[in-house]
Amino acid sequence: MFTDKIELKDFDKMDPEYKELLGHVLTIQADCEIGGPHLYVEKMLPAAPTKLDQLIIARTAAEEIDHFRKVARVAGDIGVDVSFVLSQPNDKRFVDTFRGLITTWEDNSVFGFLIDRVGRYQLEEFYDCSYLPLQRILPDIVTEELGHIEYGYNKTLEMIQSGDEGKAKAQKAVDYWYVRALDMFGRSGSKRSERYRYWGLKRRTNEQARQDYMNEVGPILTQIGLKVPDPNKGRRYM
Amino acid sequence: MPQAVANTEQLDEHLMEVVRALHGAVKQGVSHKDDSKVMDKAIKDCKEILDEVMKGNVKEWLN
Repeated sequence: MFTDKIELKDFDKMDPEYKELLGHVLTIQADCEIGGPHLYVEKMLPAAPTKLDQLIIARTAAEEIDHFRKVARVAGDIGVDVSFVLSQPNDKRFVDTFRGLITTWEDNSVFGFLIDRVGRYQLEEFYDCSYLPLQRILPDIVTEELGHIEYGYNKTLEMIQSGDEGKAKAQKAVDYWYVRALDMFGRSGSKRSERYRYWGLKRRTNEQARQDYMNEVGPILTQIGLKVPDPNKGRRYM
Repeated sequence: MPQAVANTEQLDEHLMEVVRALHGAVKQGVSHKDDSKVMDKAIKDCKEILDEVMKGNVKEWLN
C-alpha cells in the first residue's frame, strides 16, 4: 500500500500507473460535476415551481460549475485537459446517470436527494488521499454538496406530504434514480478500484461504498414513507 | 514540475468570474423575494449566463 502524500512538485516522479489513475479519476469527477447542470438547467430553471426555486436551481448550478473549476485546475496543473467535458453531449457522459435530461420537478428533487448524495460519497473517497492538491479542494465542495442533498430531500418530503399524488410521483422518481445511484459506485470486485486503493487515491471498494450508501439511504426512505426499491432490479453494474 | 495544460489558469479565472456573476444575480433576487420584477430580472440574468456555460465554447470564452 502506498502511504506517501504527494504534492504537485512530486507528480513527475510518480509511477505511470499513479499518473494515469489520477488523471482518469479527475476527468470523471470533472464530467460528473458539470454533468449535473447539463441535466437540469435547460428544463428546470424555467419550470421550477416558484421564483425562489428557480434561483436555487441557478445557485446549485453555479456551485457545480465552481466544483468543476476546482477539479479542472487540479487536473490542468498535472497536464490533464478536462475542458472538453464542458461541451460534451449528455449522451457521451462517462457515467450513465448523467445521460439524458431532467424534465420533471420530482426527478429534479430526487436527483438532489439521491444522486448528489452519491456525489458526496465519491468525494469522501478522496478524504486523506495521497494527492494533496485534490484533498485540499474537498471541504468546500462537500459542504456545498450537503446543501444540494438537503434541498433535494426537503423538496421530496414536501411532495410526499402534499398527498397521495405527490407521494406516488416521489416513489416513481425514487424507483428510477435509486438503481442508477447504486450503479454509480461501479462494479463489485473492480480491479481498477483495487489499484486506486493501492495508490491511496480511494478509501473503500466499490461494493463497500455502495453498501454504506444503501445503509444510509434505506432508513431515510422508510422514515419518509417510501419503499426502498429492489437493489438488484434494473441494475447495469453489480 | 509537470507541464500544465496551456489554458488552465485562463479557464480557471473565466469560470471564477462566471460563478461570481451567477452568485451575484442569485443574491440580488433572493434578497428581494417580494419584488417580482427584481426576481424576474435575476432569473433572466442567471439564465443568460448559464446558457453560455452550457454551450461550453471554451475557445470563444478564452479569446
